[in-house]
Amino acid sequence: MSAAASDDRAESVRLIRDSAAGLAPRTGDLRRIRALRFEDPGFDRAVWKQMCEMGWPGLRLPEEAGGSALGMAEYCAIAEEVGAALAPEPLVSATMAARALAGTPHATAILTGERLILPAWQERPNTLDTKGDTTTAGGKANGRKIFIPQAAGADAFLVSGKDGLALVERDAPGVTLTTERTQDGGNFGTLSLENAPCTPVPGDLTEALEEAALATAASLLGVMDRVFAMTVDYLKTRVQFGKPIGSFQALQHRAADLKIQVSLSRASVESVAAALDNGLTGPARLAAISRAKARASDSGMLVCRQAIQLHGGIGYTDEADPGLFLRKAMVLCNLYGSATLHRTRFATLAVDSDEG
Amino acid sequence: MTAVTPHQPEDLNHLSDDAFRQHIRQWIEANYPPELRNPPKRLHWSENQVWYFKLAEQGWLCPSWPREHGGMGLSAGKQIIMVEEYERHGVARTNDHGILMVGPLLIAHGTQDQRDFFLPKILAGEHIWCQGYSEPNAGSDLASLRTEAVADGDDWIINGSKIWTTLANDANWIFLLVRTDKTAKKQEGITFLLVPMDTPGITVRPIWTIDLHDEFCEVFFDNVRVPQKWTVGAVNQGWTMAKALLGHERIYLGSAKLSQYALDRLKTLADRMGVAEDPDFIDRYTRLKLEIADLKSLHATYVDVVRRGEELGPDVSMLKVIQTELFQKITDTMMEVAGENAALLEPMEGNRELNPSGLFLQARPSTIYGGSNEIQRNILAKNVLRLPG
Repeated sequence: MSAAASDDRAESVRLIRDSAAGLAPRTGDLRRIRALRFEDPGFDRAVWKQMCEMGWPGLRLPEEAGGSALGMAEYCAIAEEVGAALAPEPLVSATMAARALAGTPHATAILTGERLILPAWQERPNTLDTKGDTTTAGGKANGRKIFIPQAAGADAFLVSGKDGLALVERDAPGVTLTTERTQDGGNFGTLSLENAPCTPVPGDLTEALEEAALATAASLLGVMDRVFAMTVDYLKTRVQFGKPIGSFQALQHRAADLKIQVSLSRASVESVAAALDNGLTGPARLAAISRAKARASDSGMLVCRQAIQLHGGIGYTDEADPGLFLRKAMVLCNLYGSATLHRTRFATLAVDSDEG
Repeated sequence: MTAVTPHQPEDLNHLSDDAFRQHIRQWIEANYPPELRNPPKRLHWSENQVWYFKLAEQGWLCPSWPREHGGMGLSAGKQIIMVEEYERHGVARTNDHGILMVGPLLIAHGTQDQRDFFLPKILAGEHIWCQGYSEPNAGSDLASLRTEAVADGDDWIINGSKIWTTLANDANWIFLLVRTDKTAKKQEGITFLLVPMDTPGITVRPIWTIDLHDEFCEVFFDNVRVPQKWTVGAVNQGWTMAKALLGHERIYLGSAKLSQYALDRLKTLADRMGVAEDPDFIDRYTRLKLEIADLKSLHATYVDVVRRGEELGPDVSMLKVIQTELFQKITDTMMEVAGENAALLEPMEGNRELNPSGLFLQARPSTIYGGSNEIQRNILAKNVLRLPG
């Protein structure tokens, strides 16, 4: 890319980031987030509708499918802001469904916020396999899907299986949805399908899942970036032994190391997004995504753990905010593949480390 | 010292980056002495002067100097491409203090007389410089240096000693930071001097490092009398100039190439030891490979800053910390993978590519020199994160 084109791109990313400030603010209190925690559906449908009006779930869709045809750089910028805001609305999973359904009326329903369709792709822990054992042949779905983020608020599910993709209405006969609370105050759904009526749709989730993994890395970047900024502020204001604790070299060096982790995560996520936008394909593409997700998962957890430690006793309370960030990282770190899973995949792909 | 007639280079800035890269690459491949590729130790002048002279004759010795001073006047982006191509080919460093430090210093702060006298001698390979900064009691706390210069008529009389002076045993000139005002605040009583090494009263003593190399020296000054006309900038204004010279060093110390070279050697070693397919090795190797890939991404963001012509901020210290600690981690792994071979003094089987103990020892000083990593972390905490005190 020429320098001018790359400057234009940076401007586009900056604009999209700024546009997130209203719905996913990086600063200010987290009252909205706290109020939604541990209540169904775990997020605010009205805020989700506004996010749809802003065009967020359609960023990656072609214009003829009602999207804005933007790149991964822009999508990651929004996902980062959503992470930094701890916004519980299911942007990444709804985008995944919309991406797979692009061009169908179902996608339009997602983009307008009229219907929330969430992907139900996973059958085992710790996998990126979207096929599994579920069957959808003959208009009847049978199988069991797990770990569906914010499933309590879904109207329908985009179910993957041996026979391809199919839509299953939440209220259809033969559909049982149970949910469990997650650490961030949201929920994971388990979907049991017994001869549930379903509508086959073309396409598959593979590409959308890869983008979800990278967007989740970007959300983790937002989480660690903001909690680190909060921690640096705390080091400057908390006084012990007659001076701000940030004047102690042991804590200064730890803060410097965390700064390095945040910077490496940002470089990793942003360079991979740029490489994808520049047309990186094949094994190198998968390896690049794995690199960013492995880094963001490991660094995200490290920075959040250290944020608790550096805040001392107050960091261990529910009243203080660092805990909200740690608990968000606990949800995101293994979603769409853990650090170990992605490192293993990177090794298996055996591409040159200049992949992206 | 023998010297050559330098060639005024043609202006290569009009080439596209790709064309420039190809041009540089082809010339290096045709002209670089093969036996000097990826040397296991820093080369002495007796070994690297053949390459220095080749660069001088080509007119490529000083990429960053303005063309009117005999440099290539290259844009920042093209300078980085040149460095990348050198690293790619395993080109050794020359005795480059004149090129990297003295030239830019004199171009910015020297008098016309100083520029006329010194710059052509650097370009011809006639003056080989070394850097007299650190002292036995002024390492990380460089500004506390005590080597002293006292004015006497038109001369300075210098007494004291310098240490860790890289390749002082090759040099015929030294640039020095000396104390000229003992009453001022420590940064404000320091002056920058240029001194011929053959002045009576100067003694050089090589320091043998743990990898048995005499790369560093001590330099002693016993009533050394030098003319005041070789003072650079104003008296007591040396600190600011010295600090500015250190700025751009970190982006070079933070390039992933050294780590990448070590990682490639780790792979060679693992293949030779028959462990390359062990799950434990694959896991460790993959972690290191990912670290390098992310360092490259971060480094590229700083290269872009330079390319846009913007000033590097203090956050560039991150690169130095990441690169040097990664380099060490890779060579630590080599020691484990090498088994009993880690004990060997010479490369395994006479193969320079199987040299785990040599690389391990070479990686040790990287976290100390160029501002120790503890100092870099202080910089990050104070000047980037703005932590107090």
